[in-house]
Amino acid sequence: MAVAPATSRLPSAKFIDAQTLMNIRSLELRARAVVEGFWSGMHRSPYHGFSVEFTEYRQYTPGDDPRYLDWRVYARSDRYVIKKYEDETNLRCHLLVDQSRSMNYGSRGHTKSAYAATLAATLGYFLHLQGDATGLLTFDDQVRDYLPARHGAGHLRQLLHALERPSAGRTTDLAAPLERITSLIRRRALVALVSDFLTPIDQLERKLVALGACGHEVSLFQVLDPVELNLGLDQPAMFEDLESERTLYLDPAAARAAYTKKLDEHCAALRAMCRKLGISYHLLATDQPLETALFDFLQDRLKRGRQFRPAFRGSNGGGSA
Amino acid sequence: MNFLTPLFLIGGLAIAGPIIFHLIKRTTRERTLFSSLMFLLPTPPRLSKRSRLEHLLLLLLRCLALGLLALGFSRPFFKQTPLDDPTAVQPKRIVVLVDVSASMRRTGLWAAARERVEATLGKVSAVDQIALYTFDRAATPLLPFEEWNRTPATDRAALAKARLAAVSPGWSGTQLGTALIAAAEALAESDGKQFPGPRQIVLVSDLQAGSRIEALQAYEWPKNVTLTVEAVKASKPTNAGLQLVADSADTSRAADTLVRVRVSNSADAQREQFTLGWTQASGTGESVFVGKPIDVYVPPGQSRVIAMPIIKDTPGLDRIELKGDDEDFDNVVSVIPPGQQRLNVLWLGNDAPEDPRQPLFFLRRALSDTPRLGVSVVARNSTAQVLPEDVANASVVFVSEALSAAQAGALREQALAGKTLVFAPKSAAAAATLGALIGREGVAITDATPTNYAMFAEIDFKHPLFAPFADPRFSDFTKIHIWKYRKLDAAGIPDARVLARFDSGDPAVIEAAIGKGRLFVLTTGWQPDDSQLAVSTKFVPLLWSLLELGGGVSAAPAQWFVGDTAPLPPGPAGTEQTEKDVRFTQPGIREVKMGERTVRFAVNLDANESRTAPLASDELERLGVPLTPAETKPVVTGDSKIVLQGVEAENRQKLWRWFIAATLAVLLVESALAGWTARKENSKQPEAAT
Repeated sequence: MAVAPATSRLPSAKFIDAQTLMNIRSLELRARAVVEGFWSGMHRSPYHGFSVEFTEYRQYTPGDDPRYLDWRVYARSDRYVIKKYEDETNLRCHLLVDQSRSMNYGSRGHTKSAYAATLAATLGYFLHLQGDATGLLTFDDQVRDYLPARHGAGHLRQLLHALERPSAGRTTDLAAPLERITSLIRRRALVALVSDFLTPIDQLERKLVALGACGHEVSLFQVLDPVELNLGLDQPAMFEDLESERTLYLDPAAARAAYTKKLDEHCAALRAMCRKLGISYHLLATDQPLETALFDFLQDRLKRGRQFRPAFRGSNGGGSA
Repeated sequence: MNFLTPLFLIGGLAIAGPIIFHLIKRTTRERTLFSSLMFLLPTPPRLSKRSRLEHLLLLLLRCLALGLLALGFSRPFFKQTPLDDPTAVQPKRIVVLVDVSASMRRTGLWAAARERVEATLGKVSAVDQIALYTFDRAATPLLPFEEWNRTPATDRAALAKARLAAVSPGWSGTQLGTALIAAAEALAESDGKQFPGPRQIVLVSDLQAGSRIEALQAYEWPKNVTLTVEAVKASKPTNAGLQLVADSADTSRAADTLVRVRVSNSADAQREQFTLGWTQASGTGESVFVGKPIDVYVPPGQSRVIAMPIIKDTPGLDRIELKGDDEDFDNVVSVIPPGQQRLNVLWLGNDAPEDPRQPLFFLRRALSDTPRLGVSVVARNSTAQVLPEDVANASVVFVSEALSAAQAGALREQALAGKTLVFAPKSAAAAATLGALIGREGVAITDATPTNYAMFAEIDFKHPLFAPFADPRFSDFTKIHIWKYRKLDAAGIPDARVLARFDSGDPAVIEAAIGKGRLFVLTTGWQPDDSQLAVSTKFVPLLWSLLELGGGVSAAPAQWFVGDTAPLPPGPAGTEQTEKDVRFTQPGIREVKMGERTVRFAVNLDANESRTAPLASDELERLGVPLTPAETKPVVTGDSKIVLQGVEAENRQKLWRWFIAATLAVLLVESALAGWTARKENSKQPEAAT
C-alpha cells in the first residue's frame, strides 16, 4: 500500500486547490493567499500580540531574586514561592529548501520544487506576520543561498526572491545543509527541512541528532508528486533519472508493486527516525492544499509545545529563544 | 516461376523481425523523465499477447516489403522455350565489315579475321539477315542482304565463307569512317519494310591508328544501330613504315640531288634499329641494297626524315627499302626521280630577239627555266614556212604578225586538233590572219589610241586564265596602262567569249573555241609601245596560265597512292586516246604505254597504313558510335546450358526491377502510415512530465 499524506485532521474548511494556487505567478501572492485563507478558515484573528504569561510556581531557594517572590501566596500560606512566567519571545525559524533536480519533477502542472517554494514562502509569510524572524537556506548537492533569520518586510521579499531563484544543482545532499545550519545558528531555533528525501537517509539521522542536540526544533516536510507516490504511469518507456540521467527501460505496470513497496519502506524508515528523534514529519503530496500543511505544522507545534514546554522553560527570560 | 539466385529467398525469413517487433508492446525509443530511479528496477520489454498484435496493417506492409525484396534479389524469371520468347526469335540485321586494307597483310591478321567472321556467321540464326562487306578506302559488298535473303538458309553461311575466302587484304589505305557510314546505311535499307529487330555492325579489323574515322564527325549515327568490334591483334607489334616525302611540283630545289623519306615506327614497337637504302632485285628475286645502306634509329612512336642521296652511277633505281622490320608490307617506296619537263613555245613574228621594245624579248625572259620545267621559245619568221613539227611540239603558238593564208590555214588545222593559239597582233593589218584562224572572212580590226590611256576594266576572274588573280590582293589591274590597242568586234568571232575588257568597253582578251583547240586574242601587246603589261607583276603569271591552258605544264605529283586514279596526259596530237585515266591497285612503278610514249607513275602505300598501333578504344564512342562488347561465349553443354538459358531469360525479363519497384512503393506507403500512426498516438498520449 502506498504512503499517503495524513489529511484526516483537516478542518472542514475549504482550501485553495494546489493546482489553482500554483497558477498564481507571484510567490508572495501565493503565500499570502494560503495564509489568509487559512486564517479565515480557522476564524481566528491573526493580530494577537505577545505577553508575559504566568506558567507555574517554584519553591524559593536561597539565591533566587527576592523580587520574584509572590507575596500574596506568602500571605495566604506562609511559604516562599517564586512566580515563573512563560518566556514568549519571538521564534527564529530557518527554512531549509531542497532545490535539487529531482524536485523539478511534476505531473500536475507544477513541480515539487514550486510546491516546496510555496510551502516555504507560506511558512515564512506566516511567521513574518507573527513577528517572528525567518531565515532561509537553499541547497542541492551544496548550499546555494543562505539568509540569516531576521524580521522585516524587506527581509521577507529577499527570502521570497531567493526561493524563486533557479538552482543549478544536480543531486541532493541532505547532510551538507544540516551541517551548515548547525554551524551557523547559535540561538535556539526552529529548522524546517523541505525536501523529497529521495536520497539515502543513512547520514541524515546523525546530522539531525546533532541539530537536536544544539536545542533546535526540527520539522521535516517530505514533498512528493502523486505519481511518485503510486507510480501512476501507464506506458512502458525509457525512464531517465533527473539527477543522474541514468536510464532504464520500465513497464510501470510491472514495476509498480516493487516501487511502492520500496517507497513505503523508505518513508517508513524516515518516519521512524523522526519519531525516534522527536522530530515532526509531514508527508505532502503536491496536489494537496498548502493550508493543510500549514495546519499540520501549527498543530504539531502546539502539540510539541505542550510536550516539551518544561524543557524550554527558562528563568526570568534570561535564556535564548 | 524460377529463381536465378534462390539462396536470397532465405532473406525472406527476415519477415520474422517485424512480427517480433510488433509483438513487443512498446518501442523503447520513448523517454520519460522521472525524479529518481532509486526505487525502480529495469523490467524486460513486455510482449503482447498473440491476439494483440498491434498495427496489423503496418506489420503486413513491412512483411510485404521484406518479402518483395527477398524475391527481387533471388532474380526470378519465367522459364520460356525459345519459341515462347518473342525477343529470342527476333531477327537481327547484321553487316559484317571486314578490313582488307594493307595493314591487314601483317602476319596472322587475315587468318584471325576470317576466323572471327566465320564465328560470327556460326552464331546467326535462320531468321537473321547478314550482309558481308569488305572495306579499305571504300566499302565493297561481298554478299549484300538481297543475295543473303535469296540464298537458302542452309547455304548462306557457306556462301559467305566462300566469298570471304576469295578475297585477301589489298594495298589500300583504311577509310573506316566511310565504311561504317556505308554499313549503317546498308542496315537502314530494308526493302521498304520496317525491320523490327536489332541492327548491328560487326567490325572485323585490326583497328589501327591510321584508320581514318573523320567522316563520322559529319554523320549522325542511326539510333538503333550498334557496333560490335571484333579486333584482331598482330602477333608482332613492331612495324616501321617508310614514306616518300615528296617535294611540291614548283619547288626550286634541284631535282636530282636528294630524295627525302620518312621512317616512322609504331608506338608499340619493340625494335628501334633499321637499315635503309636503295635496292634492286637480284638474280634470285631478293632485293639487295645498292650502295651503302643507312642505319636508322627510330624510337617507338616517332619518325625520322632521312635524305637519301641519289646514286647516279646506277641508273634505273626506283626503290628505297627499309630492312630490319617485322612487318614488311610498308617497307618499300617507289621513287621516280623527277626530271625537268621540256616545253616548246612557238613564236611566229618578225621580232628581233634582243630588242627590248619587241614582245619576243619579254616572252623569252618571262618563260625562263625552273628546275622542274624548261621552256624553249622557238621563234619563226612569219613569212617563212611553218614547219609542222614545230607546231606539233609547241604547247602554245603565239602569233603577232600577219601570216600568209597557208600558214594561217595550217595553224587552224592544228587548232582544230586541239592546239592552243595566242593571237596578239601588233597592228590592225593582221585582221585577215585572224579571219583565217577563226575561219571567217571580214573580221575588222582597227587601231585604237585612247586619249590618255586605257585600263583593264572588266575581267572574268572565274576563267582559268585569270583565276590566279581572283584573290583581291592580286586582282588590281588598274596600274597597267594601255597606250594602244586593236579594236575589234567580238561578235564577229564565232564561239567567242570576252575574258577582259578595257574601260572603253572594247574587248581586251577574247577566247574563241576552234574545234578541239582554242584561240586567245590579246588586243593589246605587252611591249612598251602598246602597254605596261610586260613590266607589271601580272605578266609572268598570265603567260604561265596560258601555258597551262595549252596543256604543256602538267603538275603531276611525285607519287601516287594505291587506290588513287591518275589522269593520263594527253597523247600526241591527232591520236585517239582510249583511256583517260589509270587506277592504281598496288604499290610499285606503274608504267602505262601510250603509243610510243611510256608514262611512269610511282605508286606507294597510304602513309597512314604504317600507323599500326591500336586505335584508342573510345575514339569511336567519342564520335557517337555506340559500341557493344564482343560476345565471348564459352562452350556450354548439359546443365550449364540450362543455367545459361535461365540467365538469358532472366536478363531479358528483368522481373527483379518490378519487385524492387514494388518494394519501394510498399515502403513509401508504410512510411506514410507509420508517420500518421505515430502522430495519432502522440496526440493521444498525455504529457507525463514537465
